[in-house]
Amino acid sequence: MKFSIAKDQFASGLQSVQNIVSSRTTLPILSNVLLRAEGDRLDLTVTDLDVTIQCDVSATVSRPGTVTLPVKKLFSIVRELGSPELEVEVDDRSVCSLRAGPSFFKINGLPAEEYPPVPEFEEQRIVAMPQEVLGSMLRKTSFAVSTDETRYVLNGLFFSLKEHKITLVATDGRRLALTDEEAEIDGESQREFIVPTKAVVELQRLLHDKGQVEVRATENQVAFMLLGEDGHRAQLISKLVEGTYPNYQQVIPKESKERITLIREELLLALRRAEIMTSDKANSVKLSFSRNQLSITANSPDVGEARENLAVNYKGGDFGVAFNPTFLLDALKALAEEEVFFELTDELSPGVLKINGPFLYVIMPMRMN
Amino acid sequence: MFRVICHLDMDAFYASIEQRENPALRGKPVIVGAPPTQRGVVCAASYEARTFGVRSAMPSATAGRLCPKGVFVRPHMDRYKEESRGIMRILAETGAVVEPVSIDEACLDFSSACQATDADASLRLAVPIARQLKHRIADERRLTATIGIAANKLLAKIASDHQKPDGLTLITEAEKVAFLRPLPVRTLYGVGKVTEQVLHGAELRTIGDLQDHGGDLRALVGSFGPRLKQFALGEDDRPLELGEEIKSISGEETFLQDTEDRRVLRACLKEQAADIATKLKRHRLGANTVQVKVRYGDFTTLSRQITVEDPITEAADIYRLGCWLLGREHLVSRPLRLLGLGVSNLYEPTLRQLPLF
Repeated sequence: MKFSIAKDQFASGLQSVQNIVSSRTTLPILSNVLLRAEGDRLDLTVTDLDVTIQCDVSATVSRPGTVTLPVKKLFSIVRELGSPELEVEVDDRSVCSLRAGPSFFKINGLPAEEYPPVPEFEEQRIVAMPQEVLGSMLRKTSFAVSTDETRYVLNGLFFSLKEHKITLVATDGRRLALTDEEAEIDGESQREFIVPTKAVVELQRLLHDKGQVEVRATENQVAFMLLGEDGHRAQLISKLVEGTYPNYQQVIPKESKERITLIREELLLALRRAEIMTSDKANSVKLSFSRNQLSITANSPDVGEARENLAVNYKGGDFGVAFNPTFLLDALKALAEEEVFFELTDELSPGVLKINGPFLYVIMPMRMN
Repeated sequence: MFRVICHLDMDAFYASIEQRENPALRGKPVIVGAPPTQRGVVCAASYEARTFGVRSAMPSATAGRLCPKGVFVRPHMDRYKEESRGIMRILAETGAVVEPVSIDEACLDFSSACQATDADASLRLAVPIARQLKHRIADERRLTATIGIAANKLLAKIASDHQKPDGLTLITEAEKVAFLRPLPVRTLYGVGKVTEQVLHGAELRTIGDLQDHGGDLRALVGSFGPRLKQFALGEDDRPLELGEEIKSISGEETFLQDTEDRRVLRACLKEQAADIATKLKRHRLGANTVQVKVRYGDFTTLSRQITVEDPITEAADIYRLGCWLLGREHLVSRPLRLLGLGVSNLYEPTLRQLPLF
């Protein structure tokens, strides 16, 4: 195998795939990237057996072939090279010679035949959409995915592809983020599945502002095919989380007593300041509403307290409700809108954060004992 | 010294407070809890509502169906806690040693004030004291209480359940065996659903059946056997728990035969989780760490634990984490001689994150 390639191309390809390599893998070959040089391109593949990422970059191939090389080492070398072009040659014993200007590296690889096979994906695509749209949907929801490893089904993002809509839901049992977009999904390919957190994180990294993404799914796997405007492709294939996602619709309040318009940035900054005065054992901020005023307070017996008033358009009766400030901040940070709407009922009922668009965020209050 | 123990139980505590505060509710079936149109459960029901079959912990929607005329009232926990403090103060003023069992229950030790020539004469000395206590609660708090008097905690509690509301029952040492005879085995402390099923499976339905049982109860209920037999005979030497600081709560069970039967292990964990949750509630504590302990036939003993973000109070969560730990660590790879479940890292949660589901 022999090819020459631009440093930037090679680096960007390696950058896309190298993240999922685990440092404490039991199979040494899983620390490697599978390279396949063919035609005018180089394919790169990395898998941790749960998530697989493949992408291709332009290369000038003089002798097609395959090999696997340690991806972290290879990426470090390519990134540090001084010259814009490099030449790669691999012999029969999987030893790679890499030349770039005055630099020369010899890297010991392993034969491609030993690399785990990449899952075949024959399934029809379910839906195609602009990468930018999916990226925005992921940003609005993925922060609410549970990190509690004991609640396995919540360690992923729920995708519902049905009724001409793609809906994403994330929850950790205390708050829930939901967004949806219209999409063309024909009756037969309606699907619901849970994509594990690791795949969601990598997918967010791969998505760009331009180009399309196609979604395919089988019984236990999902594939996201990203088609760049330059004709290059990247694909992420992941196992799905097994299990039944909780019935999220039943926890979305149908109505609320108050709907309060708030300036997102203003609320975000005030909450950040109040959060400073919370502690592990008093990790709540209290939002107290009175006529045309929202008062945000945090109070930790051992630390001290914070108080800040915001002018709001509120005409209802006085009431207060306490939340974990992190939960509020997560959502406010993920949004870009100028205004948000906070729907509240009382100190024990869920609050719902909404925007002028297809998004909602249900958040359960904290209760004083 | 002869022991004289009273168990005091406030009658339909939450509902009675609501009826006291709001005269319009008196005589009506009052159901404290979520409204029937919402998801949620009944916290407490007045005696009027109980006649319709409404019970605490029942889904509100079910309660609404059983008792369509029921008046649903949202709970006012602050008010109940305040009331509880007031009642505990009255109890403390009697001079008895007091173990607060829950918000509306307490165990009182009158032994030092009630000593006579024999055990039953001592117990009888407590009757006027208990009657006076009931009067005082009725006068000062305008609420009724039921009191059971006996020579130990087990019997005092059973006595207080005997005649409600506004009751006063004495179980003497002379009568205790006969008193217990007709009662179902479930009445005994420590007999939950699982143990009850095991006992029923052996045709032991009443406490009398247990009293008459000639064999070794360990064959049925393991290490609980000897204690169960004592309980069936009305004997109980548990002291009052007087709120010294608790560091951890745990339970463990040694099986009669080493087992890896998942059903047996799950049932065992479930019962332990329920016991732990009850104790946590009684002491108003939340736990941040759950641990499991296993011992194999060769006495190799392992324990594993997990620490979580939100303090745990519910049996279902303790059970879920226990199962999860056993699964994650593949601890049941061979038969177990002993299985234990425990919680630690306890503190009184001042704040509680409410769950979505």
